[in-house]
Amino acid sequence: MFTLFERAGFVRVRSSVVPGFRFRKGSTRDAAEAYGVKAVLFTASKP
Amino acid sequence: MTGTGMTDPAETPEAAPSLESVIKGEVLRMYHEVAAHPDQEFHFFHGREAAEMLGYRQEWLDAAPAGAIQSFAGVGNPHLRSGLQGGEVVVDIGSGAGLDSLIAARQVGPTGRVIGIDLNPEMLEHARSHAVASTLPQVEFREGRMEDLPIPDATADVVISNGVVNLSFRKSKVIQELFRILRSGGRLSLTDIVSAKQLSQSIVNDPKLWAS
Repeated sequence: MFTLFERAGFVRVRSSVVPGFRFRKGSTRDAAEAYGVKAVLFTASKP
Repeated sequence: MTGTGMTDPAETPEAAPSLESVIKGEVLRMYHEVAAHPDQEFHFFHGREAAEMLGYRQEWLDAAPAGAIQSFAGVGNPHLRSGLQGGEVVVDIGSGAGLDSLIAARQVGPTGRVIGIDLNPEMLEHARSHAVASTLPQVEFREGRMEDLPIPDATADVVISNGVVNLSFRKSKVIQELFRILRSGGRLSLTDIVSAKQLSQSIVNDPKLWAS
């Protein structure tokens, strides 16, 4: 997604992992971990 | 658990338009469930429990109608970096029951404006009633798709969104729309689910997983 923001013309694109996010169900959490699924906060500006 | 932050199958030749409509239907169904049965357990956290887990301030939640909090299904806290100022125009993509729009409305104040966009008519009705209950006339909610926002060019000072862009089949188009509606110098604060690994095609093509 980072690349998509830059391609669209955004500048100062920043991302940070949301520390408190997790799925409720253990099976979903396991699958998410296997695929490296994370919640991320993106910030960006339009020049 | 789709969160295909690194994939965009609709932008590949083999993408089937019918799958997009199926996924849209599944997204609407899932969020209908959250709106209609907020006491039900889902595989994601929602409601006050989720908001507190993600660092929403107590005063924001205490000021919001219970219904706006019960249906909250965000994945992060876009307000942490939004830096909203009085008088700014904010567009909230995928506004749901309205919690993030209401929080933004208090930050921009009566001289500001917040426009929440959602494709789910049921959620829009809830959000409108929550804005009235909160006495926040600077908020309005419009029905629309994030791939084709009902917002003129260069309208927004700030775009916020919380766990929604990953639900789209056409993420590039969504992000181009966010760029279009921002004024020059405008900014974006968006939380979403992304995956570091390429998801298998069976996952990408599963509407239930996509919607969740």
